[in-house]
Amino acid sequence: MLNPVQNLKPTKNSIYLDFIEKNASIGTWEFDLRSTSLYWSSETKKIHEVPQNFEPDVKTALSFYKQGDSLNKIDKAFTDCIEKFEDYDIEVQIITSTGKEKWVRAIGKPLIENNECVKIIGLFQDIDEKTKNAKALADKEDQLRKTFENALIGMATIDLRGNWISVNKSLCETFGYTKKEFLKLTFMDITHPKDVSMARQAVFDMINGKINHFKTEISYMHKNGRTIWASLSATIIKDKSGVPLHFVAQTNDLTQIKESTNRIVKLLDTTENQNKRLLNFAHIVSHNLRSHYSNLDMLLDITKMDMPETTNNEIFPLMEQAVSHLGETVENLNEVASINIKKDLKKEPINLLESFDKISASIAALIIESKTKLCVDINKDIYVEAIPAYLDSILLNFLTNAIKYKKLNETPKIELHASIKNDYIVLKIQDHGLGIDLEKYGDKLFGMYKTFHKHEDSRGIGLFITKNQVEAIGGEIEVESEVNVGTTFNIYLKNYEKN
Amino acid sequence: MKKIDIACIIDDDPIFVFGIKKMMQFANFCESFMIFKNGEEALNNLKAIIDSGKNIPDVILLDINMPVMDGWQFLDEFIKIESHKLITVYIVSSSIDPRDKDRVKNYENVSNFIVKPISIESLKNISKELLNN
Repeated sequence: MLNPVQNLKPTKNSIYLDFIEKNASIGTWEFDLRSTSLYWSSETKKIHEVPQNFEPDVKTALSFYKQGDSLNKIDKAFTDCIEKFEDYDIEVQIITSTGKEKWVRAIGKPLIENNECVKIIGLFQDIDEKTKNAKALADKEDQLRKTFENALIGMATIDLRGNWISVNKSLCETFGYTKKEFLKLTFMDITHPKDVSMARQAVFDMINGKINHFKTEISYMHKNGRTIWASLSATIIKDKSGVPLHFVAQTNDLTQIKESTNRIVKLLDTTENQNKRLLNFAHIVSHNLRSHYSNLDMLLDITKMDMPETTNNEIFPLMEQAVSHLGETVENLNEVASINIKKDLKKEPINLLESFDKISASIAALIIESKTKLCVDINKDIYVEAIPAYLDSILLNFLTNAIKYKKLNETPKIELHASIKNDYIVLKIQDHGLGIDLEKYGDKLFGMYKTFHKHEDSRGIGLFITKNQVEAIGGEIEVESEVNVGTTFNIYLKNYEKN
Repeated sequence: MKKIDIACIIDDDPIFVFGIKKMMQFANFCESFMIFKNGEEALNNLKAIIDSGKNIPDVILLDINMPVMDGWQFLDEFIKIESHKLITVYIVSSSIDPRDKDRVKNYENVSNFIVKPISIESLKNISKELLNN
């Protein structure tokens, strides 16, 4: 069998060829179509892991290719080379004689004589390692890309000027933009104006090498304009020589946490408010009850000094004892009020008209004596949700106030009207009395111990307690007043609807 | 024994006023009284009295919780009046709120805070303090 290369004397060229073959893992081969003889160089044999004395033919050569894709590919390329005189350069897999799978690069070139392919010469290169590395790299890249894209945390890479290089799905979802829209914005565009200078400073500090990373709580702007609270971690990425390349940023949406925190703060405020009210109540107990007690105590003392003869009996020491007990009770009550947590009182449905009738009956004497004219327009089917004792106290207070602060030389006239407004019953109580200068006293109107009239029994406590009681049962008070025209209170009480 | 000349009582509670007058008589506390029902009334009258320089009280017993003008409001105005005679002020209140007691410290011419009920003993102590000064 003719072996053209082997027969050649080693020349300068063939020494180079050997050198190249060995170092580049490139083998050569030659197929003579006339003699159907196939020649493999020693490197080609090495790649196939066959001994140097192995003598290949086309059939065995083809049997090395892996079934399927690789075999089909080489078969077609080889045929095309012979029939269509086409060069080929393909990457395929072979299975060596020891059963190892290998990626190879196969190159073939036809030699044409008289419009006929007489020979194919080719190269055979072991690219297994290179291919496997590239494939592994691609896999790794794919894995990283998927991690980046699907992470629940918002992730982005940003260039040194603040433009996005890439953003992931979570980040886009947090901000409400599509990826396309997002990439048109800069980092500063989505940062809340109040935090822009802080973020910009951090970017400068990282570029200038002052810091390598940056972690903060920051507010952003959602596409729809609302504020997003987030925790941000940003790191600067540098090349081997320390030149900044870009930033990697991670953003965790804290808006929900922030909102719950705000709700808690609000709740705390309410609680604090209630505690303040409780303290005020303690003050009322302390002052009002104590003043009566101390007067009694003083009067007993005076009696002892002024009329000692009246004390020499069974009753006086008992009276002294009773007064002293009263003093102690007030003291205790004060203590309890200031330290005890307010117990939840139970609200119940109450018929407003019945309640009002009961109260006006209880002060019938006052109404008759003062010749008060009452105009009552309350539907008998209206029920409010309230604590009975509070509602009684509220009605009593507004009624007696309206009678008390009548105009001089005029009999009081009071109009009451109840209407439904959303979840509330609005009880309107209108008098035509003295009125209050709201500009002067408006903010003090419901304060404790505030009185605005030089009335004999103004204690300045009624409205304060009333307001507290109304608020405690979920209501509100509105007031309109004009001096010498009269006062109108709108009392909002929770409507009770039978289901 | 020397005796306080004029004692001024500012209180809206007629029972207390009646009682303290009686007690003062028993304790031989002062020669005469001056009584006002609230801060405003007291302020207007005291201004005129101090201006005239005659019958200026030696001591004021001041209630806190009063209508129209309360004890604190009275004090804020009263300290603005210049007087060549020292007038000592005692707060006499039924309040046992510690905030009220603390508030007294803001006024240098308020000597003490006396919690009602007031007794002969406490009147005698006031008298002693005043005459020693």
